[in-house]
Amino acid sequence: MNDALDVALRLLVVFGVFLVLPLVIGQTEHKVMAHMQGRLGPMYAGGFHGWAQLVADGVKFAQKEDVVPAGADRRIFQLAPAVALLPYLLVLVAIPIGPGEGAVGEVVDAGLFFVLAVMGVGVLGSLMAGWASANKFSLLGGLRTAAQLLAYELPMLLAAASVAMAAGTVSLPGIVEAFEWWWLPWQIVGALVFFTAGLAELQRPPFDMPVADSEIIFGAYTEYTGLRFALFLLAEYAGIVVLCGLTTVLFLGGWQGPWGADGLGWVWTLLKTAVLAFVVIWLRVSYPRLREDQLQKLAWTTLVPLALAQIALTGIVKVAIQ
Amino acid sequence: MTLAAAAPYGFLSPTGVEVSFLLVGLVTFAAALVTVTTKQLVHAALWLVVALGGLAVEYLLLTAEFIAWVQVLIYVGSVVVLLLFGLMLTKAPIGRSPDADSGNRWAALTVAVAAAATLVWVVVDAFRTQWIDLDAPQGTTAVTGAMLFQHWVLPFEALSVLLLAALVGAIVLSRKADAKADAKADAGTGGAESPADAAGPADKERQR
Amino acid sequence: MPPIPGSGLAKGLAVTLRTMTRKTVTAQYPDVQPELPPRTRGVIGLFEENCTVCMLCARECPDWCIYIDSHKETVPAAAPGGRERSRNVLDRFAIDFSLCMYCGICIEVCPFDALFWSPEFEYAETDIHELTHERDKLREWMWTVPAPPALDAAAEEPKEIAAARKAAEKLAAQQATEAATEAEATEAEASKAEPGEGEQ
Repeated sequence: MNDALDVALRLLVVFGVFLVLPLVIGQTEHKVMAHMQGRLGPMYAGGFHGWAQLVADGVKFAQKEDVVPAGADRRIFQLAPAVALLPYLLVLVAIPIGPGEGAVGEVVDAGLFFVLAVMGVGVLGSLMAGWASANKFSLLGGLRTAAQLLAYELPMLLAAASVAMAAGTVSLPGIVEAFEWWWLPWQIVGALVFFTAGLAELQRPPFDMPVADSEIIFGAYTEYTGLRFALFLLAEYAGIVVLCGLTTVLFLGGWQGPWGADGLGWVWTLLKTAVLAFVVIWLRVSYPRLREDQLQKLAWTTLVPLALAQIALTGIVKVAIQ
Repeated sequence: MTLAAAAPYGFLSPTGVEVSFLLVGLVTFAAALVTVTTKQLVHAALWLVVALGGLAVEYLLLTAEFIAWVQVLIYVGSVVVLLLFGLMLTKAPIGRSPDADSGNRWAALTVAVAAAATLVWVVVDAFRTQWIDLDAPQGTTAVTGAMLFQHWVLPFEALSVLLLAALVGAIVLSRKADAKADAKADAGTGGAESPADAAGPADKERQR
Repeated sequence: MPPIPGSGLAKGLAVTLRTMTRKTVTAQYPDVQPELPPRTRGVIGLFEENCTVCMLCARECPDWCIYIDSHKETVPAAAPGGRERSRNVLDRFAIDFSLCMYCGICIEVCPFDALFWSPEFEYAETDIHELTHERDKLREWMWTVPAPPALDAAAEEPKEIAAARKAAEKLAAQQATEAATEAEATEAEASKAEPGEGEQ
């Protein structure tokens, strides 16, 4: 019984984090993006510097009519947002934020594989939305999503494999345990490849060709309104949380830091995740969107060779130090 | 075989894991059936996701965690995405496609049943009344890795070579087609050069 | 030397980061009123005392958004035996700001300085008909017209002031000569009287 309570409590906490962190990142994005463009961003909702803007947005989304186009494949259309969102919730369960059993939702033996596998499923939601909307822009968005996923899944996996090789385990807490500071220069290429490929999988700018609003409206999400649309947006921001958390755990040493790895380890994890999330926003503000062919070229001619080189380097160093 | 119903293990008093294994198996089987019988192409692909996901759950129930996640990663995450990508490139309509039916369905059924029967026979014949003790994990990553790279390293490498051959073959095929098309295109433009000169600049533009 | 690959990317990041640390340029309008330059074209005010119903503004308006009605009145002769004069009296002067394109031609063309720009801009309405401002409203806008900006130090004197000054100088000169002749006269009288006094 105690076990069940424990599990329920952990899941509840993870669910809370899942609901709160994406909103925090969304609000940060509002503000950071605004200031990077010389604006102020939301200032009214909630009184103090518009802190409740996203809550207000949520209320607005909830009030909107939930429209399903007449020609759409109804059930798949309605199911798609859930398919897009749930995997990130599942992934969040497996990301450790501190040392020990207490700081992870659920220890998964093959955590790395679990995380990457489930993240890949999330894209199915976009594909379902793109196809079921009965809209040419949605279909184009879906196609681009699929092409992008196929291109960037490979370098992401290779980069993750490199760090798994270095640590000698595929368990996420195990990888952090094995982390040493000199892994940072050793795995830096892998980290960059992983982060870039992750950005592309999330369809974040500058890799947002599948939802390029100026040419295909909003890609696969064109026909969505109200709560279902909000769920897709939430999935994007939950994806940022997951990507930044994963990069922290895999490449930045998670809870390991100069001071107090024991008690305040989770602060380090959150801090690193927050910095990475800031970088995600920063990249969005700074760079123009990559064209479709540039996207594919970047993945196949730059990221894949870099990831392979990283694996080779990891292997050589690993053998050398043993 | 009759011993199977007797002690120490038996299927007369199934445990929770066994019951859920059976139920998930039924769901997987049903999803697989719908995959091949539905007339809506994209639905077939999505039911395939359910079937493959069900298989992954079965692996999990057998405590083969690593295989389960790889199943999800490769099949659900990549193969089905590729399938959907292909389907989106076709004219797959929303709703039923009446011509999505094959005259070979009886042949396919025969092959499927034969393959299933063979597999079942092989498995039953190989393992008979052996039972897996599921209390301790049997298929952890460490165990799988050790098995794969110690006992089965030769088949593993052979498979790698096979995949590499397939990869190279695909490249060769696509390049050949490309080269032919290029040659054809070159010939086409070469032949059209003089009439294009005679035609106005507008036509030239169009040819480009 | 060719640029280091990726330096452009870093430059882009630097630009956004630098902008983030600077003060924003957002004007928080309803909370903070904007500081408008003196020649802002907000709304047109009518100084109807100056209007002679010459109709030039209405005729020049490219949008035909100025409506003027008037009638003639006869003014009795100012002096007995003089001629009666007729005068135009303004009945209606309205500008439809839903049509107006704020070109300012009416203000330029008005020969009697009856139309002025005012910087007021907050007169949005929920009904488009309300945007037709009648003469009383246009007269009200006059109170918001700022004083004309001071002339440049080296600028030529305005004609009106030059004319007024000339007139004033003329008057002063005239008064001065009058005063001088008067003084001479009194002096002469005084000198006439002086010997008499000396005689005393």
